[in-house]
Amino acid sequence: MTAVLHVDPAAFAANLAEIRRRIAPADHMLVVKDDAYGHGLERIVSLAWAEGVRWFGAFDVRTGRAVRAEVGPDARIFVWIVATPGEAQAAVAADLDIGVGDSVLLEDAAAAAGTARVHLKIDTGLHRNGVRPEEWPAFAARAAELERSGAIEVVGIWSHIAEASDAEDDEARRVYEEAVRIARDAGLRPQLRHLAASAAGFARPEFRYDLVRIGAFAYGIRPAGGPSEAELGIRPVSSLRARVTHVDADAVRIGVGALDGLPSTLAGRLTIQTPAGHRTLQEIGGEESTVAGWENAAVGDGVVVLGAGAPMSVTDAAERIGTIGEEIALRVAPTIAREYRADSRRAD
Amino acid sequence: MTAAGLRRSAPVATIDHGALRANVEALLVRGDGGYSVADLRHDAWGHGVLPVARTLEAAGVDAVVVDALDIDRVAREAAGIAVTSAGVPTLDPGAVYGLPGSDGEPVLRLSGFVLLTKDLRAGEGVSYGFTHRAESDTRIALVAGGYAQGVVRGLGNRASVSIGGTPCRIVGRVAMDVCVVEIGGTRAERGDEVVFFGAAGEGPGLADWVAATGFTAAELVTAVGLRAQREHTA
Repeated sequence: MTAVLHVDPAAFAANLAEIRRRIAPADHMLVVKDDAYGHGLERIVSLAWAEGVRWFGAFDVRTGRAVRAEVGPDARIFVWIVATPGEAQAAVAADLDIGVGDSVLLEDAAAAAGTARVHLKIDTGLHRNGVRPEEWPAFAARAAELERSGAIEVVGIWSHIAEASDAEDDEARRVYEEAVRIARDAGLRPQLRHLAASAAGFARPEFRYDLVRIGAFAYGIRPAGGPSEAELGIRPVSSLRARVTHVDADAVRIGVGALDGLPSTLAGRLTIQTPAGHRTLQEIGGEESTVAGWENAAVGDGVVVLGAGAPMSVTDAAERIGTIGEEIALRVAPTIAREYRADSRRAD
Repeated sequence: MTAAGLRRSAPVATIDHGALRANVEALLVRGDGGYSVADLRHDAWGHGVLPVARTLEAAGVDAVVVDALDIDRVAREAAGIAVTSAGVPTLDPGAVYGLPGSDGEPVLRLSGFVLLTKDLRAGEGVSYGFTHRAESDTRIALVAGGYAQGVVRGLGNRASVSIGGTPCRIVGRVAMDVCVVEIGGTRAERGDEVVFFGAAGEGPGLADWVAATGFTAAELVTAVGLRAQREHTA
């Protein structure tokens, strides 16, 4: 294994600036779950803090606490999967904002020592977590009761949309607006409304509200089947690189394979950058992959497999096998070293 | 089965060292006493390089190939076995880890947890793009485990999990950290264990994932093992 994932802090900072410009006056909540989409949580969070990001979307309490440890008490850190009463207590103790999408968690948050800061989630059609519209009035009334008792403070109302079609997203937004109205009628005073992630946050101003939760675009991952990076004003932040490990008569082997997280189904479909130009991977084995050789190929030559400096982005690769760029990025194995450097344009 | 202290928000890989040892001993018997080298690269294909090395040492394996970064700690922990980063394995890793297509017993079992259950009404869609719509009123469970943990996105609408021994279909797109399964009339509640793939005879197997995704068993098991919380059983 010779592969490395280069992460370019300057490209990341440029994407953050573009996000800020596009979604203003809404604030950007940078989504950093899953080790910041595989880019390395601690580095990404501290870079983002230095660039002015103040909201972090952390998924679970463990990640939320890691973000808190990295950037200190002033960051707002949002977690939305809190699976036990103990985790709810830990979330309150770490001063995390808790996304509450079911009545069991609402009671857990209220029972935790201290006042839990919560964002209530309405299910606007995605049918994952979130309270169904017919249960929402009773849920909002219970939250208002718990707020009056001092057990919780309801600071936000949120949801997540399916992005199946603009018409269905419009219907989701209608359900969301109705939920906010019902919450206010119940006596709640949520200051923060958030509904959109990357795609709708960029394309549809009426979905931005106060906060937009964006991960993919910050890492330069465009939507499969959607607008290009240039149209979005973003660029890939990471670059999967490897080195030549063997040179045969007419083929060259490189030190990255399926066990490093490069899907074996990309064989014959993924074009990489070599010192002699583009080559398509002929085979993807567990440890190594094979490409057609080039003149003077030598063990140790550098190649760029995916992302910045390669002919294909993670989303380009994903589209060849019917998935999305996020999955390709996140399959890059945690055993691959992450290096933070700005020179991600050259093949060597 | 599941020890306290595990996060309920993420999947668990349970590594069965009895199965591992039985798989290796069967290979050693067949190997007629030749020098035996096992492949423990990629953190022992996601099974955990240190505990796997100890079990292989006890089973009588001569040497293990590990990632270069792991050499020192494996050599210290399993002093009775030769450790290298450049050798060529002689034991078929598929048989060592009990992957589909080998004679071995499965060593890694992947499970998640129910995060919540809820109603789904006839005609309602699930997850991104609404690739699944309910034909009639039913119940669904949100389950910890998504493509960031190696639960491949392409498994949506193509594979099942097992809850309390009952098969439940994954419906809609697998998301980054969670998926949705249809539980219908099956009783399930927050915290219940959900088996993604398990031992032979225990509901879905890794072979089902191979068939649904076109990925190899090796890359599937390594991806989930590297990302899951791991617990080791004798």
